[in-house]
Amino acid sequence: MLLVFWILIVVAILLIFIFFGYYNRFVLLGNRIDNSLSQINVQLKRRADLIPNLVESVKGYMKHEKAAIKAVTDARKALVGAKGVEQKVKADRKLESALKTIFAIAEGYPDLKANTNFLELQRELAATEDKIAYSRQYYNDSILTYNNLCKTFPGVLFANLYGKKAREYLQIAESEKKKIDVKF
Amino acid sequence: MKQRIDFRDQIVRNKRRSVFLMFSVFVILVLLGYVISLAFSPAYFFLIMIIAIIFSISYILISYYNSHKIAIASVGATKAYKDDYKQYHNLVEGLILASGLPKPELYIMHSKQINAFASGRDPQHAVVCVTEGALEKLDKNELEAVLAHELGHIASYDMRYMTLVAVMVGMVAIISQIFLRSLWFSGGGGSNDKSKAIFILIGIVLAIIAPLVVYLVQMSISRKREFVADASAVKFTRYPDGLIRALKKIKVDNTPPEKKVSKAVAPLFISNPFGGLSSTHPPIEKRIQALERM
Repeated sequence: MLLVFWILIVVAILLIFIFFGYYNRFVLLGNRIDNSLSQINVQLKRRADLIPNLVESVKGYMKHEKAAIKAVTDARKALVGAKGVEQKVKADRKLESALKTIFAIAEGYPDLKANTNFLELQRELAATEDKIAYSRQYYNDSILTYNNLCKTFPGVLFANLYGKKAREYLQIAESEKKKIDVKF
Repeated sequence: MKQRIDFRDQIVRNKRRSVFLMFSVFVILVLLGYVISLAFSPAYFFLIMIIAIIFSISYILISYYNSHKIAIASVGATKAYKDDYKQYHNLVEGLILASGLPKPELYIMHSKQINAFASGRDPQHAVVCVTEGALEKLDKNELEAVLAHELGHIASYDMRYMTLVAVMVGMVAIISQIFLRSLWFSGGGGSNDKSKAIFILIGIVLAIIAPLVVYLVQMSISRKREFVADASAVKFTRYPDGLIRALKKIKVDNTPPEKKVSKAVAPLFISNPFGGLSSTHPPIEKRIQALERM
């Protein structure tokens, strides 16, 4: 009788640990997703902040390339105004292609290409683009881990219990997925 | 989607091994103290044992908390400041976003070889070190792949176990290396003959023990870790070609083997700094083959 009692106690404690463990795991993975989302935002903002400097340093040299410069400022405006990460990432793709044009044009301006400030900005912009790609990848990885936990047994039981639902991936069209290299 | 690498099992295993290692070193040192105390008169037994225990505990604690500093110092690396090494910093910053790790401290090793290693007791106290040769000879994607490999070691807590083995067990070899180097350079100094003879004797004893110690270190660090770290590098960069190209460059690079580095820390590096057939690293061809299958 006493033995049965103790076995029940031990089982109950184990169960409590498992319930707590799963709950914490859901919270932990959920926080990781939120955190990686904010990382994407940080990088996008950093990128938007670099643009005015770039425009400033380019303006003096490219007198006849008003359209290309305007495309970049417009794309930046769209990026700053965009709501939600998906929209922002899309705006960032536009900005990236506008920048590509600028950098391609810059090839024809030896003075500009020798400007250390410009080169520095070019490098920084390329680096932030890489970082955006990486933070997006980590965001989707985090969602994958979370969703696996939500959808596989026995996690699915706890997911239902705690009301945790599988999350949506950040969708980027297949053609946009490729990393764009800013030309040097 | 295919199964991603989960570090959790590896982390648990590496932590368990680290504790076991520290415990073993403690037991061995105390036993050593016991043997020494037997050699002296019994009157000193307690005194020597107390000293042995205090020494062992502080040895373990000091090497646990400073293992990365010892590793960095033993290869003579210096800090890489952001202003001087922008690309190096930028690449690591991208990779920490891909891996979710905190940013490690970055170091430069003044060697023309293409090599790199990671060290530290946990991701919050991690260091990454690359050689000048790696920065010069590798292109952006290749360097990124090598750095991702090192972050893979950090994420799986490999570097805790590997550094502890290299530092705690390899200390004898590291000291012997420093010792021999100083003997080499100070040759013909004006010190008296007697102390010189003692120093040479200590040097010889250390030199005899050192290869055994190095062998122990190599045996306890599995070569499988390199494959796992290669795999996690690809997980972070999603670009196996970068690492394949880097490994190929490392393979054909014919910079002479490193002389200043103690063999005890060799297993920490991405490729053996001493070149040739090595027992510390799997053959580069095998690693390339594994990567090409990804």
